[in-house]
Amino acid sequence: MKFAIAVFSPAHAPSSRRALRFAEAVLAGGHEIARLFFYQDGVHSASANVVTPQDELDVAAQWRTFIDSHQLDAVVCIAAALRRGVLDEAEASRYQRPAANLPKPWELSGLGQLHEAAQSADRLICFGGD
Amino acid sequence: MTTLHVIAHSPFGDNRLASCLRLLGADDALLLCGDAVYALHAGSEPQRLLQGANLSQRLFALDEDLQARAVANHLATPVDYAAFVQLSLHYDKVNSWL
Repeated sequence: MKFAIAVFSPAHAPSSRRALRFAEAVLAGGHEIARLFFYQDGVHSASANVVTPQDELDVAAQWRTFIDSHQLDAVVCIAAALRRGVLDEAEASRYQRPAANLPKPWELSGLGQLHEAAQSADRLICFGGD
Repeated sequence: MTTLHVIAHSPFGDNRLASCLRLLGADDALLLCGDAVYALHAGSEPQRLLQGANLSQRLFALDEDLQARAVANHLATPVDYAAFVQLSLHYDKVNSWL
């Protein structure tokens, strides 16, 4: 079965970790992830500038590793990301900002990608909360 | 059309749980995760609400969140992430109470 997973919370929130554990279980169960979509404060889960205290789980890094190792389609909502200062090279240069913090494997794109993923997947699961 | 409802907020901070129980269909199920597992705290008002809803086999809680919060639970079926995935497929839709 195909899953679309939407993450609404930053890497330091328990629900971002929960989304990651769920995504791992989806693949472990032999299913497919059509797309990961990071929306609202979820865009912070994609920032390369997150520095996690040494005694805490680095969920942002775990997302990056997970997406890289399974070559997943990981889309970050562009409108949500820009207003929160999560920019790739192209947007940093377009808006003359001093730095980019959204390298590959993340892609900035629009909300239409969430809609499309919800249509093409068998299930859409959203993660937010505490 | 059956729905798995997922709540991840503490029942002591808002009315999500009560609203969800009001909307819950006869074949729908409820999964509590994160701070929402505090609803299972013995003797609490949310627990009375859950007991009154008579969900029997349709109430689930994420086991690691129960353990992390030391909630002794006799009401909900504990599930791990593999079972969470199975649940999401068993029901036609998953509605997260963001």
